[in-house]
Amino acid sequence: MKFRELWRISSTVSKEVSFQSIFSTRAGSSLPRRGSTDVQRLVKNATYNVWISKILTTIFICAFGFVMFLPERGQTLYANTSHEFMIVASVSTFLAAVLFFIVFMGLQVATSLVSSKIADSLSPLPLSKKEVSNVIFLCLVRIFDLPLVAGLVVLPTAYLLVGGSIVGGSISVIAIAVSEIFGLTLTIGLAKFFYSRVAGGGGRSKWKTLTRFLFMLVWMVPAFGTYFVINFADVIIRSFLWFTQLFGSSLQLLVIVFPFSFGFFISFLSGSQAANIPSIVLSIISSIGYVFLAVYCFRWVTNTMRKIGSGGILKVDREPVKDTLLRPRTPLFGIIRKDLAIASRSPSYAILFLLPALQVAILAISFSSFKSGLFVTLGVLTGITMTTLVLPPTMFSIEGLASSYTRSLPLRKRTLILAKTLLALFIYIISIIALLVIALFFKKDFTMEIVFGTLNLFSIASASMLELTILARKFWKEGFALGNLYARLSTFILILVPGYIVAGIPMVAAFATYLLAENMVLQVFVTAALAEFAVMSLIVYRQN
Amino acid sequence: MQELAVRVDGLVVSYGNFVAVDNLSFNVKNNEIYGLLGPNGAGKTTTLKVLVGVLEPRAGQVVVYDTPISNEVAAKSQIGYVPEEVVLFDSLTPREFLEFTASLRRLDTNVANSRVVKLSTAFDLTKYFDTPIAALSMGNKQKVAIVAALLHEPRLLVLDEPLIGLDARSSKILKELIVFHAKKGGAVIFSTHIMEVAEKLCTRVGIINKGKLVGEGTVDELRKLVKGAEGSLEDIFLKVTEQEAGMQELIKALEEE
Repeated sequence: MKFRELWRISSTVSKEVSFQSIFSTRAGSSLPRRGSTDVQRLVKNATYNVWISKILTTIFICAFGFVMFLPERGQTLYANTSHEFMIVASVSTFLAAVLFFIVFMGLQVATSLVSSKIADSLSPLPLSKKEVSNVIFLCLVRIFDLPLVAGLVVLPTAYLLVGGSIVGGSISVIAIAVSEIFGLTLTIGLAKFFYSRVAGGGGRSKWKTLTRFLFMLVWMVPAFGTYFVINFADVIIRSFLWFTQLFGSSLQLLVIVFPFSFGFFISFLSGSQAANIPSIVLSIISSIGYVFLAVYCFRWVTNTMRKIGSGGILKVDREPVKDTLLRPRTPLFGIIRKDLAIASRSPSYAILFLLPALQVAILAISFSSFKSGLFVTLGVLTGITMTTLVLPPTMFSIEGLASSYTRSLPLRKRTLILAKTLLALFIYIISIIALLVIALFFKKDFTMEIVFGTLNLFSIASASMLELTILARKFWKEGFALGNLYARLSTFILILVPGYIVAGIPMVAAFATYLLAENMVLQVFVTAALAEFAVMSLIVYRQN
Repeated sequence: MQELAVRVDGLVVSYGNFVAVDNLSFNVKNNEIYGLLGPNGAGKTTTLKVLVGVLEPRAGQVVVYDTPISNEVAAKSQIGYVPEEVVLFDSLTPREFLEFTASLRRLDTNVANSRVVKLSTAFDLTKYFDTPIAALSMGNKQKVAIVAALLHEPRLLVLDEPLIGLDARSSKILKELIVFHAKKGGAVIFSTHIMEVAEKLCTRVGIINKGKLVGEGTVDELRKLVKGAEGSLEDIFLKVTEQEAGMQELIKALEEE
């Protein structure tokens, strides 16, 4: 079959992959039976979702690339540094950024790709195994096309704009290609690892559930990496420069590490006089080594795609079943246990349970500049509250996974609302504990955090109950697949807004009181929080 | 007089402008196996979904053992449901899924376990108990749904194409269970496209076409009612649903190719 034909087929298949990545991972395979227009809208939304993700990644790569090489930036950031080291730092940071951008963008779709469902639908068609593999490989290319091209164009262009040489520019193309192949390899590798260890993992023990949550951290690696490179690029470069100045002789060790090896090599090709001969030789040798590694990785990626095409790559180990013992709980804890089990196998849900870990990392980095006080405490609490309140609607969307079945069960609205509220409170409490641990670590006064953080529990509960009541009523009335919240972003946002308003009332009241009568702040805060909690509890109690 | 298990009265269900079920009424008594038949898209699944509270009707009433379906918890507690498309929580294992349904139905641990041992052995599901549902075959997913539907010993069984995907052994066991359930005093409503099964199993059948009930009764009653349909339920069905006309010509045309 001609390449053009395979390319055309891969377009349809990649649409299906993007659709599955959203509606299989997040929403189960059930779609609301509301006529073809509704489903068509969901398909369109899935395609838009992928395009938006691709375009945003491309914009990030372009913007990040040019910002890294801005001459003004160089003058301020590298005031005491040579032009050569500026090239090393900029090229290396950009290569790392592209790697993480690609993994961050592609992990979800790649997980859908490696789950081999696509091969199942292609195999019965009159296509050879090789053609099926080629189609799947082209799908992979389609998923990443724009960001990959952007990376290949941006680095050499930005490098040449700051006065790089033609040879250096050519090597920068090879460097970015190597980085992109590493990114693709990491994406497919993580997706395979994730699917076999998490999504496909069974087992009944609590230990298994815990390890699944730990494996889920894999999903956060690219998110952390991207966050870290974007926000701390300056810190990374400064640290790198400080390191090179402090350990001049140890510099040779750094030149063998990717992406610095390419940074040094390209810098040398820009006419660097700073580096010594052993460093240059080492950087060239290690860069060549990385090129070979990239070739190997590329082959691994294509082979993996081929294996997907020839009928699945993932074998999940099954434990022998010893008994069929069931441990029914009350409906409330039955729902909580079910949600935790689902979250332990689904990144989009688990990531919310891992929010405290993310918050700890961010707070730990930023906390050194905090000074204890009412404004800082309420500010930090506002941040934690806003993140926590994303949890209830997302946890509620789990019900949409099997809504065509769940709704046949004798389930009360208020039980569902209370179960999800308890989960949200659980996450909030862990976040507050994390905040206190960090405050202790940085030897800050944490009295305010304890007092306001604890009282804010009522506010979080009220806001969660409000969000969930709105959703529960919608769920019961319309029966739409709530898992498709991503396809109905407006619904998602419209539910968050009232939640934020409710959670914000005690905070705003406290701020206002601080301006009028400072000594009444706590009383006002607690009164507002308890009042809204009482109202919301009454409303939830009335939900059958 | 037999107790009325289900009363469906003037049911109307629509998706936008499309009316899927149009003024449908029927009753099912205890000890009865009521077969709901109809061509694809006739409105069978929609009707059953309203019956179990998954869909809300535009008009009409559904009463399950004197409890309107609007009284959700009370009505749904008496129903065991196997959906046509078995979309369960795919990332859960059968054990986790059954624990979830048993929790919602407030089942006693001992009762749930004595039932689950029997059912999972009967349907040969034990070995898949800790495998995520997503990794199970269609037939095994169907078995999970069947076990979940039978776990709480419901008075009313609502089964939407329950035999699809089942192996011969499980299919036979389920059919026996359906008969036993009715004999024990329960009621069963099930939809199927397999006319032979409906003919053998059902006490009465209701035939739906384009959302309307176009025939109802025992197979013998329908035979008398429909002129020229002397043979099987399949013949009656094709006549009643007006699908017979031109069918022979179409088959001939296909054979000539």
